Amino acid sequence: MNRMHYLSAIELRDAFLKGEVTAQNIAQHFLKRIEKHGSALGAFLSVLGPRVLLKAEALDKKRTHGKPLGKLAGIPIAIKDNMHIAGEITTCGSKFLKNYKAPFDATAVRLLEEEDALLIGKTNLDEFAMGSSNENSAYFPVNNPWNLTRVPGGSSGGSAAAISARLALLATGSDTGGSIRQPASFCGVVGFKPTYGRVSRYGLVAFGSSLDQIGPFATTVADAALVMETIGRSCPYDATSLDFPAESYKLTQDLKDIKIGIPNRFLENLRPEVQANYLSAIDIMRSLGATAVEIDLDILKYSIAVYYVLATAEASTNLARFDGIRYGVRSPSAKNLEQIYDFSRKEGFGREVKKRIMLGTFVLSAGFQDAYYKKAQKIRSLILDAFEKAYEICDAVIMPVATSGAFAAGAIHDPVEMYLQDIFTVPANLAGLPAISVPSGFDSEHLPLGIQIIGPQMCDVSVMRYAYAYEQATRLAGVPPAFADEEP
Amino acid sequence: MADFDRQTLEHLKKLCRIECDEAEEADILNSLKRIIEYFAQFDEVQIEKGASKHSVLNGMTGNRWREDIPETLLTREEFLSNAPDQIAGMIRVPPVLKTQ
Amino acid sequence: MSRPPVWPASRRHSRMRSRKRMKDLPYDLWEPVIGLEIHAQLNTRSKLFSMAPNRFGDEPNTNISYICTGQPGALPLLNKEAVRKAVQFGLAIGGKISHFSTFDRKSYFYPDSPRNFQITQFESPLIRGGAVSADVKGITKTFQVNRAHLEDDAGMLKHFTNFAGIDYNRAGTPLIEIVSEPCIHSPKEASAYAQAIRAILLYVDACDGNMEEGSLRIDANISVRPKGEQALRPRVEIKNMNSFSFLEMAIAGEVSRQIALYLSHPHRPFLELIPPGTYRWDADLKQTVLMRTKESADDYRYFPEPDLPPLLITEDYIDKIRDALPELPHNRFKRYVSDLGLTEYAASTLINEKALSDYFEEANAICKNPRLLCNWITVEFAGRLKDKGKTLIDLGIPSQHVAKLVQMIDQHKITSRIAKDVADEMVESPGMDPEAIVRQNPDYQPMDDTASIEPIVDQVLSENPQSVADFKAGRDKAFAFLVGQVMKLTRGKASPQVVNDLLRRKIQ
Repeated sequence: MNRMHYLSAIELRDAFLKGEVTAQNIAQHFLKRIEKHGSALGAFLSVLGPRVLLKAEALDKKRTHGKPLGKLAGIPIAIKDNMHIAGEITTCGSKFLKNYKAPFDATAVRLLEEEDALLIGKTNLDEFAMGSSNENSAYFPVNNPWNLTRVPGGSSGGSAAAISARLALLATGSDTGGSIRQPASFCGVVGFKPTYGRVSRYGLVAFGSSLDQIGPFATTVADAALVMETIGRSCPYDATSLDFPAESYKLTQDLKDIKIGIPNRFLENLRPEVQANYLSAIDIMRSLGATAVEIDLDILKYSIAVYYVLATAEASTNLARFDGIRYGVRSPSAKNLEQIYDFSRKEGFGREVKKRIMLGTFVLSAGFQDAYYKKAQKIRSLILDAFEKAYEICDAVIMPVATSGAFAAGAIHDPVEMYLQDIFTVPANLAGLPAISVPSGFDSEHLPLGIQIIGPQMCDVSVMRYAYAYEQATRLAGVPPAFADEEP
Repeated sequence: MADFDRQTLEHLKKLCRIECDEAEEADILNSLKRIIEYFAQFDEVQIEKGASKHSVLNGMTGNRWREDIPETLLTREEFLSNAPDQIAGMIRVPPVLKTQ
Repeated sequence: MSRPPVWPASRRHSRMRSRKRMKDLPYDLWEPVIGLEIHAQLNTRSKLFSMAPNRFGDEPNTNISYICTGQPGALPLLNKEAVRKAVQFGLAIGGKISHFSTFDRKSYFYPDSPRNFQITQFESPLIRGGAVSADVKGITKTFQVNRAHLEDDAGMLKHFTNFAGIDYNRAGTPLIEIVSEPCIHSPKEASAYAQAIRAILLYVDACDGNMEEGSLRIDANISVRPKGEQALRPRVEIKNMNSFSFLEMAIAGEVSRQIALYLSHPHRPFLELIPPGTYRWDADLKQTVLMRTKESADDYRYFPEPDLPPLLITEDYIDKIRDALPELPHNRFKRYVSDLGLTEYAASTLINEKALSDYFEEANAICKNPRLLCNWITVEFAGRLKDKGKTLIDLGIPSQHVAKLVQMIDQHKITSRIAKDVADEMVESPGMDPEAIVRQNPDYQPMDDTASIEPIVDQVLSENPQSVADFKAGRDKAFAFLVGQVMKLTRGKASPQVVNDLLRRKIQ
């Protein structure tokens, strides 16, 4: 079992259930991998060694005593460090929360543990989930396993890198504007963002409340579907969670009678490599039985502006609670109340976070709210309308995930250029639609590319199904050479 | 749109209670200027009267609310264990002028 | 040597006027324009968006949860009982319940705010319109309500010499904020309006109305204008008053201050004289203290709360609540006056405390003598209980006992004088049946048989010939004196009826 990190999550779980490997072996194996590769990648902010070994021991006992075991039994899973594991530190990649102990479990985390998953560590992220490259973590950046000088994408860079390098077999991320899909694309793994409200946000530190969703990273679509079966259910503690029972994800291998929507005009200026990759993905889908239809999503050219108005507005209030009063780091140089606020937030927040809070405050402020916040809300409805209309004639919209393969760390300085990295991903957040990134090949620098499948609201199962069909026909996921070890 | 300048930034800092050092401030000012210029594209979009009432909460039916049953989920001990400063069961801060 | 008049003789003096001479202002030429915002804590068991217990007076930070301490990752969840109570209140004031209402975030930084934003209803409140009637100096006035909505309360900042402590027990408590139209024109009207609102909140069991505990807090927006002027002048806000007498004092003081300013500076622009600002009522200093001027006011940046879907209220839901509404205070007031014959003063004393009014109704159902009963409850017993600081209900005197006492008087089983003594004993030993008290004390037994009283009447007549003569000469007072003498000798036990009859017979 030295090569157990090459298995899919389902395969490893089945091996555990059959008794071919113990949970403790699994835990030790992956802990060793994390120790070996951790600093090169920067994927983990904390490793839950003692905790996971205890859980593994208990799980082994359960199995030997013939007790029923959960759907995720024995699978090592990494949790993005903006979701609570009760009693463990949640840093959100920020100095502000470096000592903050989570008082409760996120619902998604609790559901995973109830299915006997082994929570192995908290992964690195852009601070407070704000970023597209994981260069904004207050601790250290994350590097792309395919090329350590490249970014893994963000904000869930740590989770994507951990899966890509097989330091865990499942991971959770959060996606507000593409923070699961874009790093999945950059790191050559599967990343899924559910319909808004499909997964509970309870215990996820909020960034953009009407945009955020928790979703899985995995090496295969079937693994991602397994996580969705577990966490995709109604939560009584989240008023925006859909009042819908959990679903079974039946996966088929063809796309017969499926119509795929191609927004040609919106995709006019793709880089040649990305365009070629995109077109070849469409061809493969056609060969599986799909018909391509042209759709009009021109309105999406405003999505980045709309997104950065609405997300930062919500974030500016969501992050107002970080004030050094009740928890988090209080500035030692603060001598009065005003200074507690001003200095704690000055010292606790990184630059990108400060920028976004100020931007969000600006678009909500008196005299500007109509022109920015309210206008953006109206354009958001137009985007929702455009997708509704498109889905009258197609079952899924196909788009690239990112505008290129992973870029170099420090390569992008202009804020708008950085924001435009999300141009293909934010629309699904604005419209609350389920969307997945599946590995679709490599660029000329042998960096992964991904193809994005977006479905109508509440069609999470369909999106997974289409992705599975494409994946089975292409099998383009692979292990980055630097992490292709024959032993832990 | 009106100029986004240092004065605007100072006002925003007060509203969202953040201080910055000089280097940060210059960079933030430039970035925000740039981003807000980018938002000018909103002027291209015409909104007809009675724009769609669509929202991401379309799938909601009925009210999401709860029964009036009290539960003490957070003990004082747990709450204060994360506190930067506390006294006699309360969060402690420097003396405050009664302004609210 | 008489003091020269201050007003209107010398206008120069008026510019140096001290606060003591405010009473000399020409009030009848000026009209105060007042709007009240009342924040009432709903008496639900748990908080508005947090499941923590909604209780007053416990140890700091023992009634808290994730949402009301602003923990990251926490989400608000609406308490359906709070909505029901708010809708009840809205119907009780004849307001319109919105079928579709939403919540908004109101941003401001302050340590008692767990998230540095409050969840309120700015754009579309739950209740619009409505009115309350209240008795002001004998006249029934109707005051219009503009709107009422739900929002969550802040925690408490406790001030000490070298530090401040924050207690989040109160953070997240459900509040209903009730905003009147600026249709109140005097301190007394303000107080009457506020008391009427409080009474309704008590009647629908939405709030416990405990002013000392801060269950009801009142903000007043005050401006003045010359009578007849339509436009509104700048106004000042006084926040957080939790007593009706403070409310009246604060409003009266502010109205005087504003009038004096306008009079002494007739040519200055209004906004210069009365810059809009927020004041706090300091209960210890008994005066208003400036909190902040409008320049430094917050920009609250209201926007829709993304964590809460809109609140949808159906006609069905409203109908069910409307059907279950109790009799409302002003209707009860009218019934007491027209059907039961109580004076307006007596009626308003009863209805302002629902518990007392319910007690009265219980007792009246038995003794069926509302006027006498009301007197015993609001005057006789109230007087005896004043020193104890308790009410009849607190003391545990059942309404049936008060009813029986009244019945015994009505049925001439005891005289009013004896009844007073019995009442004293009832207060000393709450729960003791007055019939038992009377049975056990021979002094309380009525003396109504002619045979025992007659000799005493004879005795009094023979000892007071002058009074007899006076009465025969037409002096009624002399008769009352003779009755009194008989009562004295029988130690109040003789039936006044019998005494009267006997005396008249014997004198004729």
